[in-house]
Order: sequence, then C-alpha cells, then structure tokens
Amino acid sequence: MKQIDYSKPHIDWHKELKLVPGYLVLGLWVLFTVVMLGWIFAASFSTSKEIYSGTVLQFASGFHLENYATAWQTQNVSVFFANSLLYATTALIGIELICAPASYVLSRFKFMGNKLIRNCFIVGMSIPSIMIILPLYSLASQWGLTGTRTLLIVLYICLNVPFTTTFLLNFFGTLSRTYEEAAAIDGSSPINTFWTIMLPLAQPGMITVGIFNFLAVWNEYFMALIFAGSDKLKNVGVGLFNMVAALKSVGNLGALFAAVIIVFMPTFLIYLFLSDKIIAGVTAGGVKG
Amino acid sequence: MKQDKKMIVLFLTPAVISFVFMFLYPVSRTVFMSLFEVESLTAATDQWKFNGIGNYIAIWQNPGFRGSMYNILRIWLVGGVCVLGLSLLFAVILTSGVRGKSMFRAIIYLPNVVSAVALAAMWMQYVFNRKYGLLNDIAGLFGVNINWLGTELKFWSMLIAFIFGAVGYYMLIFLSGIERIPSDLYEAATIDGASKVGQFTHITLPLLKGVFKTNLTFWSINTITFYVWSKMFSPVDSELSTISPVVYMMNIVFGSKGVTVRSAGRGAAVGVTLAVFVLIVFTLFNVLIKDDDYEL
Repeated sequence: MKQIDYSKPHIDWHKELKLVPGYLVLGLWVLFTVVMLGWIFAASFSTSKEIYSGTVLQFASGFHLENYATAWQTQNVSVFFANSLLYATTALIGIELICAPASYVLSRFKFMGNKLIRNCFIVGMSIPSIMIILPLYSLASQWGLTGTRTLLIVLYICLNVPFTTTFLLNFFGTLSRTYEEAAAIDGSSPINTFWTIMLPLAQPGMITVGIFNFLAVWNEYFMALIFAGSDKLKNVGVGLFNMVAALKSVGNLGALFAAVIIVFMPTFLIYLFLSDKIIAGVTAGGVKG
Repeated sequence: MKQDKKMIVLFLTPAVISFVFMFLYPVSRTVFMSLFEVESLTAATDQWKFNGIGNYIAIWQNPGFRGSMYNILRIWLVGGVCVLGLSLLFAVILTSGVRGKSMFRAIIYLPNVVSAVALAAMWMQYVFNRKYGLLNDIAGLFGVNINWLGTELKFWSMLIAFIFGAVGYYMLIFLSGIERIPSDLYEAATIDGASKVGQFTHITLPLLKGVFKTNLTFWSINTITFYVWSKMFSPVDSELSTISPVVYMMNIVFGSKGVTVRSAGRGAAVGVTLAVFVLIVFTLFNVLIKDDDYEL
C-alpha cells in the first residue's frame, strides 16, 4: 500500500511531541559518546597537569603535538601501527583469494559434501578461540614459526575463512545464472568465466566483507598476544595495552591519550566514510560483531 | 551448467585445508588433551599421561576458576538483559519515526569498530577516573565522588563499559528484524484501535522471536571468550573480582604471578567446559524458542 505524500513544509508538532522521550534517550547516549571521544581528543593535545586539574578544553598552554611525537616514536606506536597495517592488508588479500573461489563453487555447483562443508564453516564461526589456540601454539613451536610475522598472517587468514566464505556464498547466490549460461554458449570455460565475469560482479560483496576483515584484524588482540612474541611483531592492540600501563606509571597522560587516538583513528576514518556499507553488511550477514 | 570436477577441487582445497588446520585439528586435540596430564604445551604426545576427568575435577575445585565462572555468569545474565534490553529499546525508538535515524544509528554502532583495548583505555583512564573523570564530574554536581575502580565497584564498572560497547551491534540486528515486519500489520492494528504498547507486545515481540534467538546466541558466544576487558581492568594480577575463565586458562597454561601449577591439560579442560556451556545454551534456545511459525 502506497500512501500519497502530503508532507507540508512545517513540522508536525503533535507527532514530534510524542517522540520526545525517544529523542531524549538517544540524545543522552549519543551525547555521552561524543563528550567521551571529544574530551579524549582534546586531552591528547594537553599536558598531564592540565588533565589532572580538569582544564583540558581551555588549551591554556597551546596544543601539545609533542604528545603524538612521544607516542609515535618513543613508545613505538609507529612499529605497532605498521605491523597492524601489514597484518590487516595481507590477511585481507589472502582471505579474499581463498574464499571467493571456494564460496563460488559452493554456491553454484552441486556435489557430494557441499552441504557438509557449508555447515563446517557455519560451525567454525562459532568455535570459541580458546578451543583452538593451545594446539596452534604447539604446532607453531613444532614448526619453528613462533616469533614470525608469517605465522600471524596465516592465522588471521585461516581464522576469517569460515565467516568470509559464508558471507560471499550468500552474495553469489544473489547473482543471476544467466551470465554464466551466456559465457558458456560463447565457449568460455567455467574457470575462465569465474575470473573474468563472476569475480568482478561479486565486487560489492567482496568489498563489504573486506572491510569487516580489515577491522577484525586491525582490532585483534588475543591471537597477537599469544603469537607475537617480541615487541617488533606486536600489533596496535597488544602494543597499546602495554603502553597504557607504561605511560600511566610515568604520569604522561597526554601521550597516553595520543596513543589511544592513533589506534582509534584508522578504524574511525574507515567508519566515517563507509558506515553505510558496514551497517548494511552487519544486517545482511548478521553473523559477526 | 557444466560441472567441472577439477575446478571444484581446485577452488575448494585451500579453504578446506585452512579449516582443517585452524579448526578441526585444534578442536580435536584440545578435547583430547583435556583428558591428559600435560604440563607444558610444547610437550610431545608421548609425555602425556592419561588422567580421565581429573583435569575437570581439578579446575572445579579451584576457587580462581569457580570465581571466574561466577563472574562470567553475571556478565552473561546481567549484561545480557541490559544489552538486549537497551538495543531493543534503541531499535524500537529508531523505527518510530525519529529524525536523524542514520546519524543516531551510526554513532551508537561506532564503539563496535574501535579496538577493545582503546575503548577500555578510554573508560578506565577518562570516564571512570576519580579526579577528572566524566562520571565523577556528573556525580560531583550532587556532591558525591565515587571510586569506580575500587575493589567493590570494579566488576560493575567493567560491565557498564562492556555493555556500552556491545549495544550497537545487537541494535542493528533488532533494527533489521523490525524493518522486515510488514507495515500493513501495524496499519491494521491501528485501525482496530490497538495502542502503541499493545502493538509492541502483540506484533513486534512475537515476530522478533527468531531475531532474539540470533542475538542470544551471538551474545553467549561473545561473552564466553570475555578476555580483553578483564585484562584491562586488572592488568597486573588477575583479581578475583574481574577474572574471567579465559584469563584463568591463560594463567594456568602460560604461567602468571601466584600460579603454582602450570598445566596445559587443565587449560584445555577450561576450554572444553566453556564450549560445552555454549553448546547447552545453544540447544536450549533452539528447543525453547521456535520461530518456524513466522516467516519474515
């Protein structure tokens, strides 16, 4: 049933009045979030003295960019940042390369074990990480992989295969089969059809799931804690964890908040520009937080 | 379409191998290891001594583990009621015709894309701070100063911060559930004179059964591996007030201050115990909440 839009230029005050409690609840929550982030952003440019005395928003002594310099260089955030960037981008590429072909075959072809493999991936998504890390640790030390970046990248790829395959499988399901039929008539082999026609068509799905994988790997903490032995291999999560304690003990709160902002910024910027795609992905996939 | 066996094998093998390597083998070995006395993770299998359910008995006799299970129960139950309640409330408000829906939705979901370590640091170093923290600024208006991170309140402070970060995700799932309910149901109810509250309890809630089940399942899976928040709120020693089962497991496997016995076998037993709990909860929801009557 479609209603004719009688919308007038002025606001329907009666309707708006009924929504006041709703606005109040949402407004308070959002206000809290904005104040929290805004204060921390301001504090990252302030001195510890200003933070302790509660005069953060006055910037009486100017903007202390040296907080960022301290966090970035002295506290090694640059190293953690580069590591997280490396882990997230390489894992992202690896995941797509493994999952796109697998999900295509699972969504298009009927064969023995298809359903079983699909179910395995669904179960895989809900296996708690504590059920897998102990044997993985033994394997890694057996194969002499502990303390290498390769290990973390491989783990991040494998960890995200079930979710990504399931997500892309559903996406391929929404694509029409007429493309492949037309390509087959033109004499294109199925493998060729996949790479030249279907993969480009799957791009929207691959981008959405790619954003999720990037965020997941960037924010990952547990695996990095166990498998990144030395400081050189740590990602932003583990690095920030140690840094918070260190900066707190020397009382350099400005640099502490600068470090928090540096870790926060990349995912925040991605979200700022792609929030519609991310939110649509959560509701479409409905599978991962 | 022409079936191509070679293509199927070629395209599937990497994904299947990764699954076997990452999930199938480790899970089987963890279950197996939980039945053996294994001191170090790197010990070869011929050094394992069969122990039956000895590891399970040992962990349940440990006050640290029991305390951590009590904590996770409270996080799951109290946190679950708050998170699902708040997220449902937000979803209902957002679908009631408020302006700026996508802006509100985006800001409420924001904590979910932020590193948990960064988020926890924001709460601990700012919001809960006794001297300059946001909550004590507000409490100060009423002439009170609260020690949010003291032993008594620490657990609840941790839970509040965790809830704040979690709500957005469950809200999105509820939101998509509500938006899939056909609007003519509400129109018919309005014509029949049903109130907004009546519409909520008789249309929205029953039709959201399946979505509730999804959210409850995700909530259970997410809380069972509760770790970062617990570590952030007691970074040096694992305090009984905030310890979670995964923290306990990490301590007995990799060692920590105050841990006298290191045992990888017991660590595996903790993992299996938690997985069994998830399985029980999952089965219960599937039996109790039947959503096959409603196809949305």
